[in-house]
Amino acid sequence: MQIGKARQVWQLEFAGEWPTSVAFLGDSRHLAAGNRQGDIRVWQLPEPPVPVEGGKSETAPDTPPAGQLKGHDNGITHLLATPDGRTLISASLDRTVRLWDPRADADGAKQVLAGHRDWVQALGISGDGRRLISGDDSCLTIVWDLATGAELTRWTGYDRVWVTAAALSPDGSRAFTAEYADGRGSFDRPAAQARFWNATDSSLQQDLLKVWLPDIKDQDRGDTYGYAQAWGKLFGRGLVCAAFSPDGSLLAVGQGGETGTGKVHLVDVASGQIARTVSGHQYGVCDLCFSADGKYILSCGRDTMVRICQVSDGQEVLTLGKSRGGQFKDWLHALAVSPDQQWVAAADIAGLVHVWQLES
Amino acid sequence: MSQLPEMAHHSRRTMLKGLLATAGGTAVMNWGGLFRSAAAADQVQRQGKRCILIWLNGGCSQFETFDMKVGRPTGGPFREIGTNLPGTKICELMPRIAERMDKLTVIRSMHTSQIDHPGGIYLMHTGYAPAANVRFPEIGAIVARYSGRPESDLPNFIKISSQGDAGSGFLGPRYQPFQLDQDGKLPPFSSSQLSAQAEGLRHELRDFLEAGFAARSAAEPARMHREAYEQARRLQHVRDVFQIDQQWERYREQYGDSKLGRRCLLARCLIEAGVSFVEVGQSGYDTHADNFSGHKALVPCMDQAWAGLLDDLEERGLLRDTLVVWMGEIGRTPNINNRSGRDHYVRCWSTALAGAGIKRGLVYGSTDEDGRDVRDSPVTEADFFATVYSALGINPAIENYSGVRPIPLAPFGHRVVADLLA
Repeated sequence: MQIGKARQVWQLEFAGEWPTSVAFLGDSRHLAAGNRQGDIRVWQLPEPPVPVEGGKSETAPDTPPAGQLKGHDNGITHLLATPDGRTLISASLDRTVRLWDPRADADGAKQVLAGHRDWVQALGISGDGRRLISGDDSCLTIVWDLATGAELTRWTGYDRVWVTAAALSPDGSRAFTAEYADGRGSFDRPAAQARFWNATDSSLQQDLLKVWLPDIKDQDRGDTYGYAQAWGKLFGRGLVCAAFSPDGSLLAVGQGGETGTGKVHLVDVASGQIARTVSGHQYGVCDLCFSADGKYILSCGRDTMVRICQVSDGQEVLTLGKSRGGQFKDWLHALAVSPDQQWVAAADIAGLVHVWQLES
Repeated sequence: MSQLPEMAHHSRRTMLKGLLATAGGTAVMNWGGLFRSAAAADQVQRQGKRCILIWLNGGCSQFETFDMKVGRPTGGPFREIGTNLPGTKICELMPRIAERMDKLTVIRSMHTSQIDHPGGIYLMHTGYAPAANVRFPEIGAIVARYSGRPESDLPNFIKISSQGDAGSGFLGPRYQPFQLDQDGKLPPFSSSQLSAQAEGLRHELRDFLEAGFAARSAAEPARMHREAYEQARRLQHVRDVFQIDQQWERYREQYGDSKLGRRCLLARCLIEAGVSFVEVGQSGYDTHADNFSGHKALVPCMDQAWAGLLDDLEERGLLRDTLVVWMGEIGRTPNINNRSGRDHYVRCWSTALAGAGIKRGLVYGSTDEDGRDVRDSPVTEADFFATVYSALGINPAIENYSGVRPIPLAPFGHRVVADLLA
């Protein structure tokens, strides 16, 4: 990724409910976004208009979507695409994960992955595009074979604790899940978990909280107050997004929920230690990803900004969007980077999909 | 129209009987001590009715519980489920209550006046908006006053991890709530570090000194001070009632493995032991941000605890004489804000009642298609409290005096919603 200036080239209106997810489909001109109602729209973006010399327009042009994918009957939580862009994957509050051919004329998903018992709030794909991971609010995590749609393995956590983030390593062998219990004061049980798993046989590889909070013993994990206090300092109101770096050596996790300043932690996968904390979104992070070369971490959040930071030293090198002021703002709910690494898209709770072009 | 109060007109002499005068001649509260009020209490006590208030602090959303608007812009992501009341649907977060709708009366048309928390909490505990010159008593104090057993070693008004700071108001310290912590444990001051013998000697000495003081001074506060100590001493005889560990093992599944479930079990135990009013709190409903995940976290455990409580009360034959009130201080806005939250709303929201004196299997009132306004049968705070008191066998028009001012239990202009009463 070349970081220089950035120019907003499109501001796509998503009529109706607000967009919650966005994904590029194999190239920088083919874009999909999903919303809170369950609609998915697909855009084929034309060549962006050349900006007028000296022009100071605050808004970028809009262009209508080329198509709509129908099938979900409740909100979309995540959209992902396979590396070749031929399959779009959606996760939903309707408890399903669906695989779509975004170029097909036929209505409906080409495959519905049923197996979840509750809202599917976490979704990740391996770097090779062969495996998928999804997690739901019944604390069930499933690893899928994308080619066949078959379940490879599954595991569950505590009752009434939710899988809030899930990611697969580039080769698909390792999984990460973050779990969180909102309203944790109601129960005598662990408030949260962050763990590495073997994505083939679902065996536990590493309990990251034992690394991050070594003073908390197993028997104290039922002490919700003390445990949540310790957790809160590290992770605010839960980790809601996670991604492995392209070489698999780092895991990025973002603090979500409405918290003071949502941070992004970079975790050394080999040791489990937090190597670095980068960036920060006032009131919480919503989504994140690595650049393809692994040099940058991009995140968006409840401060209506996309922040791009260097992985090497955590320095913020570019921001996209503007903070909208006021105590509470809209959110940039999700982001995506085009395969050629030149375009960044973000889904804005205000009803827009923003597209920026990075110029070296 | 409000009911004509049974004692709507008091003579000047009666009123003056109710006043205390300080040395300087200033009228002060009479701690609810009117003769007729006491007579009313005797009458109500014989009925033996009790009340449990499940208090949803912060304001539970009607859209995520009893008044869903699925498919509308105000609807949110949850879906409806059928109930055992034909034609009635409620939120999927409450599957257990859905199976017990035939025990409830749900009011979908609450229309109240205080939109923020302090005012709303005060309002929905007393029936009155906060006022600078009158300290209104909470419903718990009123039930303790009129239904409580004065001779009981147990407090008649107990709060378990709940809200509301109006307390007993002008009814005086005898009816102040006895507060338990979030785990239902007795407060530290309720247990003595002394041996029983030493504690007994200390009590005798204090009693001796206070008796001497009382002989020289007829001041009400001195009497109340002695009563408070006496109550604390009597509590030592009944501490076992608060120990529910063994019962919890048996009832954990029924009430749900949550702190709220445990609080509800304790409430049942206290009611069974003779306490007249127990308030059980669940906090966290003020979901200006992340309303849906917030309710998803809170409502299911509330659903199980509430359903477990209703079943347990019924199985023990207690539901007939125990009114279970389910409410918070406000509802939540139809509009979903840019924090995925809902703000405060009092134009229309929901409460629910079950048990003593209340019809079973009724949904009262309705709202428009987006839940912005009451469509029919509005219930104000005055109506609500008048109806609740009526269900408990307490005349809502009974007046107490704060200074020279007559204060009915439910505000002037109230309407008892007779349709809700069995």
